[in-house]
Amino acid sequence: MPAIELDGLTKRFGDVLAVDGLDLTVEEGEIFGFLGPNGAGKSTTIDILLDFVRPTSGTASVLGYDAQRESLKVRQRIGVLPDAYHVYDRLTGRQHMEFVVESKEVDADVEAIMGRTKILEAADRKAGGYSKGMRQRLVLAMALVGDPELLVLDEPATGLDPNGAREMREIIRVENDRGTTVFFSSHIMEQVEAICDRVAIINKGQLVAVDSIDGLRGATDTTTTLDITVSNAGADDVEMVRALGGVQSATLEGDTLRVTMSGDGSKFDVLNALDDAGVEVGDFSVDEYSLEDLFVQYTTEKQEVLA
Amino acid sequence: MSWTAVAKKDFRDASQSRALWGLVVVFVAVASLLAYAYAEFPTTVAESDEATVGGLVFFMASIVGLFVSLTAIVVCYKSIAGERELGSIKLLLALPHSRRDVFVGKLVGRSAVLVAAVAVGLAVGYGIGFVMIGTVEVAPVVLFLLMTLVFTVAYVGIVVSISATTGSTSRATTLALGFFLLFELLWDAIPILLVYVVNGFSLPETMPDWVYLVTQIPPSSSYVLSLIALMPDIADSIGTSSGAEEVDVFYATPEIGFVILAFWLVVPLALGYYRFDGADL
Repeated sequence: MPAIELDGLTKRFGDVLAVDGLDLTVEEGEIFGFLGPNGAGKSTTIDILLDFVRPTSGTASVLGYDAQRESLKVRQRIGVLPDAYHVYDRLTGRQHMEFVVESKEVDADVEAIMGRTKILEAADRKAGGYSKGMRQRLVLAMALVGDPELLVLDEPATGLDPNGAREMREIIRVENDRGTTVFFSSHIMEQVEAICDRVAIINKGQLVAVDSIDGLRGATDTTTTLDITVSNAGADDVEMVRALGGVQSATLEGDTLRVTMSGDGSKFDVLNALDDAGVEVGDFSVDEYSLEDLFVQYTTEKQEVLA
Repeated sequence: MSWTAVAKKDFRDASQSRALWGLVVVFVAVASLLAYAYAEFPTTVAESDEATVGGLVFFMASIVGLFVSLTAIVVCYKSIAGERELGSIKLLLALPHSRRDVFVGKLVGRSAVLVAAVAVGLAVGYGIGFVMIGTVEVAPVVLFLLMTLVFTVAYVGIVVSISATTGSTSRATTLALGFFLLFELLWDAIPILLVYVVNGFSLPETMPDWVYLVTQIPPSSSYVLSLIALMPDIADSIGTSSGAEEVDVFYATPEIGFVILAFWLVVPLALGYYRFDGADL
């Protein structure tokens, strides 16, 4: 049974088509990244999964339950960190947690969970005085109550400093190791790249790619540029490098050998080959075509091609 | 029973509102003053020969009507619209609560806040009055408290329902204040205006019968009318009249107050819930 299954999901707000015929399957046990620029339809899709918003057409099911008709069963079994939420200013962190425990009717060690997300020391302060990062930790703690089968995290790193974002990823990994499926959205490729098994990229309400990170790299014309400082390379060495698998071009300019390679090429093969040929390799730098570039390519160029 | 969790959370949250406590302080002061005035000068303030417990109970109804309507607006206008505007409703509805649970929980939680606030004011006011008069009668006090409870819940229901129709607090404020202005401040003029228009822009010699009914429409009027229906003798003793005797149609009885109050208790809730349940948040 898939954790999430979208079938022709469409949502129209007046003239705006926020989600346009999404088909997507998230398998149980994976960490799935839902990626797209702001306004691409990520939050609307998540809002439909939670029955905050009703689809215009198509269906969404979560853990085998219809997201609209059986929403209570869905929400009993998942943990959610929503986007653009607001905490109850006048209630303490602990009172927020108690509310979740009562709402889900589960037994939970509130303090242990708050310890995991590092908000325990502020547990008895009113949440209105929390910083953005602290609120994010509190709401993440709320999402973890009751050991959910699926975590839905909408832009979880918002408001977190780099350290906090790293801790967030750590928690996501630990939860995933315990068997929890994680579905999270982001507009920043970097966050997704670090931990996701698979990624979906959406733009203007439409799915433009679903694949593993490596698969995404392979599917596009990603190139890596290698700049190698060499002291005694000749034309035959350049020729030799050009013949290596995955190498697209090799040019020598003074002391710098510039090699461009496709996704399946190995820079170590190049370096080893030069070494074997007796070329003295000094410094070298790698300009890898980043996933960020890939993301930009998917969400701009491809759209232009389609349009 | 998940509405109980919502109600408890909401009670904790709303009972910490500073505006609420400000109103409670004012209400306690005014209730004490009124109780004192009635017990000391019954002839002047209530046209009754001597101060009685029943008279005191009734005399308080007018101030309760005003306090409950104002406080209901202050405590409830943001109850749902505010959570939608800020986004805290996403925390609430990410949990296994149906929208009905949220709606009912809000109604119960906010009603509890308001009932507690009214109870504090009345307890102090009655305390002073009972001590000054020197006796306590159970029956009128219980009847009055029951009616006041119904009235309070009805008003909370009205404002929560208004709040449930929109995701904007400024719009909820406008609607709630508009309701208050129309039904609690300006309503006296409405039947006359209606008659004036219906009669071809002039006023007739005698008012038509239906004016009685229209006059009683505001929630607080139906509350007072219901009290008169429950305790006619006491109402008479302090000179409070429904005006029903002067009109000779079947609906010109104080009992019509129950019907109008029931309308206010049911219809706004039904409309508010219907809008909230169908909304994209």
